[in-house]
Amino acid sequence: MGSNAHTRWWADGPIGYIELDNPPMNVLSDDNRRGIREALAEFGQAGARAVVLTGAGERAFCGGADLKEEEELTAETVGTFLQRGDETFRALREYDRPIVAAVNGWAMGGGLVLALWCDVRVGSTRAKLGAVGVKVGLMASNVQLSRLLFEGRARDLLLTGRTVEAEEAHRLGLLSSVVTPEALMDEATAWARDIAARPPDVVAALKRAVNAALDPVAAEPRR
Amino acid sequence: MEIVEAAGISFAVVAGACVGADFERALEVDLRIAGDGAHFSTAGVADPIACGVRLARLLGEARAKELILAGRSVDAANALRLGLVTRVVPGAALGDTAMGLAAQLRALPPLALAAVRDAVRAVRDLTPGAAVTLEHRHFRRLIATQDHRAAVAAFFARREPAFTGE
Repeated sequence: MGSNAHTRWWADGPIGYIELDNPPMNVLSDDNRRGIREALAEFGQAGARAVVLTGAGERAFCGGADLKEEEELTAETVGTFLQRGDETFRALREYDRPIVAAVNGWAMGGGLVLALWCDVRVGSTRAKLGAVGVKVGLMASNVQLSRLLFEGRARDLLLTGRTVEAEEAHRLGLLSSVVTPEALMDEATAWARDIAARPPDVVAALKRAVNAALDPVAAEPRR
Repeated sequence: MEIVEAAGISFAVVAGACVGADFERALEVDLRIAGDGAHFSTAGVADPIACGVRLARLLGEARAKELILAGRSVDAANALRLGLVTRVVPGAALGDTAMGLAAQLRALPPLALAAVRDAVRAVRDLTPGAAVTLEHRHFRRLIATQDHRAAVAAFFARREPAFTGE
């Protein structure tokens, strides 16, 4: 159990919970980036078997990078900014227990990246997904969307930056289930419990194998 | 079938039959939208092998095989289910929808749009690490552009941004 200015985390039996709490839009702060990594390390030591990641409130899961923080980046500091983000995303992807994202509202830009690097996503009817990078003249979530959706659908979302509502996200496979806002944490917990009930070594091996399944093989060029 | 080009992005607008050479052309563009009377078939394509590879990359293996192996015709609803098209509207609304999509693309910052277009093509050949490196390289360049600054300023001022491509 722990917290910092924008993040809270706690465990309930074999399941660890992380809540991003930076109202109103839960924009991704350094406290979040640090909090996620600290929480995962703590859960690992305590023997958690699955993790649920969500956002506080009903408006946003995570609104992505803080545009004010981003505006102040210089050629020197942009590298550190990207690296810190990448470390957080990698921590989720490489964590040896599955992570369930409970998408309670907006997941846009870097917030969408966060959700997409989780292993299973469930959403409330208020969930809204947006690969909005292109709209602010940037690029984000290319890598994840291309892997999760294949090129055809990934291009549609990445090139237009349009909003995907919960039902469409479910149809596309970006959300594995959609429930009412009141039922969301129970739904995420149910997924986490089902994962936690399976042999942890097998689950860890499955996560690794699926993560790597679409990696190109060096000896076998695709073209 | 009509191919529309807007802001360097080309998309196929399919009102009726999309077969043979049309089908192959439709796979080469960035996006595909259709009217509810559209139907698609790989029958009569000049290079079925290239078509199969392209479909696998666009839709995944299962969906590619569903389309290419039996050569059956699929209607608009099934094309949407497969992800072959990403939007289906009533045939009478197709022209307006296409114009709307073109306008939507033209309103986006052109440098970012071109970068996303190129990166999304490149990603599938790269390991996640190399893909992230490529994305970061684009990001570093884009964050220094006037268009990015204009987008952020417009966001805070709650107005529509105007982009210059610089």
